Amino acid sequence: MSAKHREFESEALVHMDVLYGLALRFTGGDDAAAQDLVQDTLLKAYRAWDNFESGTNCRAWLTTILRNTFINDLRRRQSRPAPVGYDEVAERSVYPQLHEEDGEGGFFDRIVDDEVIRAIEELPEDFRVPLVLADLEGIGYKEISELLEIPVGTVKSRLFRARRRLQQRLYRYAVEMGYIR
Amino acid sequence: MTHDEQPPGHAVSPEGGGTADELSCEEAARNVFEYLDGELPPGYSERVHRHVEMCQRCYPYFNFERAFLDYVHDRGMRPARSAKLEERLKRLLDDLEGREP
Ligand SMILES: [Zn+2]
Repeated sequence: MSAKHREFESEALVHMDVLYGLALRFTGGDDAAAQDLVQDTLLKAYRAWDNFESGTNCRAWLTTILRNTFINDLRRRQSRPAPVGYDEVAERSVYPQLHEEDGEGGFFDRIVDDEVIRAIEELPEDFRVPLVLADLEGIGYKEISELLEIPVGTVKSRLFRARRRLQQRLYRYAVEMGYIR
Repeated sequence: MTHDEQPPGHAVSPEGGGTADELSCEEAARNVFEYLDGELPPGYSERVHRHVEMCQRCYPYFNFERAFLDYVHDRGMRPARSAKLEERLKRLLDDLEGREP
């Protein structure tokens, strides 16, 4: 095994699970697409490995490659999905329904992780992608606007709606499961 | 955008006759995400901060939304494991190495 191979394995390949998780969120839980995305990412990383400065944040470098790869692909898929309907009711905060019994948000902790992941992955793409960029990756509005080539105002409103939908869904789930009344 | 966000049951300004500089609960709540995301202009963010800090209604509400965002981040970043993918990447790497000069 070459030194490069060994180095790549110990520095890059160890982040495979993080990359795969992120890829699933981006692709809306599409396993085949997520695997392809991780493979493309690591292939690009391998080819550029000589430029990677050992000791710097490899995970951040890899997630950037993954993000850019996904977004380039998104842009290439010209066909815009049908615009998602805006349901005003579904876009209010669940706080008013909850604050009597749980104002501090501890209610979220009672929801199993799988449900949250599912809820994120099942958001319509137009909402999901800005949410993954902002809330998972911590990217600012302006950069998201540049990445997705949409105005900052659109980033804001999609992010807003994505978060509200997520909240509403988790709330309904918690009611169904009897976590809250 | 018409986000009709407001803390539960209240659309009124904080009682006690604030100065012209004071925000209403409604205005503070309308900006909750931009505030928590650190996306408001500094001066305006400071005004929201001052309101929330002093407001019995907005304070718990903002905490709630902050907890929600933290929660989405923590859970959303959860890694995923796939033996199939692992196998596939190992093979790819071996292939690549085979082709290296
Ligand atoms: Zn208030």
